[in-house]
Amino acid sequence: MYRNDAPALELRGLTKRYDDGTLAIEDFDLEIPAGAFFGLLGPNGAGKTTLISAVCNLIRVTEGDVLVFGEPAHSLLARSWIGLAEQDINLDRFLTVRETLTYHGGYFGMQRDEAEERAEEMIAAFGLQAKRDTRAPKLSGGQRRRLLLARALMHRPRLVILDEPTAGVDFELRTELWRYIRQLHAEGTTILLTTHYLEEAEELCEEIALIRDGHLIARDSAAGLRESFAVDRLQDVYVKAMARS
Amino acid sequence: MLWLCRRETLRVSKLWTQTVLAPVVSSLLFILVFGLSLGGRIKQVGDVDYEVFIVPGLITMGMVQAAYANNASSIFQARFDRYINDVLSAPMKPWQMTLGYTVGGLFRALAIGSALLVAAAILVGVPVERPFALAAAVVLGLILFASLGLVVGIYAETWDHTTFIANIVILPLAFVGGVFYSIDVLPSPWHELSHVNPVFYLVNAVRFGFLGEADVSVWLSLGVTAALAVPTYLWAQWLFTTGKKLKD
Repeated sequence: MYRNDAPALELRGLTKRYDDGTLAIEDFDLEIPAGAFFGLLGPNGAGKTTLISAVCNLIRVTEGDVLVFGEPAHSLLARSWIGLAEQDINLDRFLTVRETLTYHGGYFGMQRDEAEERAEEMIAAFGLQAKRDTRAPKLSGGQRRRLLLARALMHRPRLVILDEPTAGVDFELRTELWRYIRQLHAEGTTILLTTHYLEEAEELCEEIALIRDGHLIARDSAAGLRESFAVDRLQDVYVKAMARS
Repeated sequence: MLWLCRRETLRVSKLWTQTVLAPVVSSLLFILVFGLSLGGRIKQVGDVDYEVFIVPGLITMGMVQAAYANNASSIFQARFDRYINDVLSAPMKPWQMTLGYTVGGLFRALAIGSALLVAAAILVGVPVERPFALAAAVVLGLILFASLGLVVGIYAETWDHTTFIANIVILPLAFVGGVFYSIDVLPSPWHELSHVNPVFYLVNAVRFGFLGEADVSVWLSLGVTAALAVPTYLWAQWLFTTGKKLKD
């Protein structure tokens, strides 16, 4: 059983040094409360994807602890609570839309009937009905992006991690994805979002953390950040924060 | 884990013309060309007709190549396209991942082996004299080569690395492993050198299962195959447990 009062995500002294010696994140602490809509901003190479990969068991952590709702992130229980939509489209080329979702549900412990029913629900929610028996490589860019998000949500995760989910998508799809993510958050799901679109972070996130060179630079609501950096726009906060030595 | 097994077998089924039909046709051509045409000149190996003698080795060769190639390509593709992350992030234990990925190679190899067995029984009337020995040999051999496929697919940086092992290591070892001849006809030192070829033992174990006779003791053949299969499987398991080459 999980603790109801535990934060959705706790990083304590997280350090990741890659085999080539690159230090991506160093002694990183972060706590995200359950139910939050949290944004992570930073330039390319700041350590955002490394941080997400550490939470999702996709890299070997050099040092530190990662807890998801109080459970070690590498535990099976914690893993079942996380839904990840990665930045790059990484769909199984041999599976159709329906199979992609059903198999993902199976990997995450769903029974066949439950997985099939939930897959149909997700197909309808993301408007992929006409493509349900189409394999991933045959989908358009927008459809792939939708499927990626549907897959992340398939097993009803408590913590949804979205790594630049709207990168390269058109305005219509972006608005549609925002609407779905907002609805998800309203239902109590914790969202961790990384994005390069500052207006997206400002529009969606209750709290924003700015990271640079693997370190946390600032953390507050968009309004709080504007106030502490004494500027009018989040864009200016970002520029100032990233320019500081 | 069952879903991963299903996914791996589904992949084989969807690509059946490449994964099953093509190897079956190519092995049947060997039986037809070497067995039925060349067999007219060689007649018998020991008490066995040549076209029957070569069948166990050809089935072995077809199966081990398929078990290796299937797993090497499946895991390499999953790494290359990064959809392996869907499995690595799932609440699955490392042993479940290893077993799940191994099953695809076994399924494909058994589909090929079964098709060849039926075809060979019809074409040349190959018998199955020792079914338990045959089953043990097949299981151990497939675990060995399916696991090797996983290990190579995990270490490989390019497609060439996976095909290199198939073409430069497995295929030559199979050819000189007594598939087409009994090593008794080889002069020294080729006769002795054949005994350091692991495929030789597997071919002989399978041949014993089919024909009830082989160049070396079936226990030695099964022992050598098991001695290679267990550590290779554990190697694959170690890679999934530590995340080496799978996770940065």
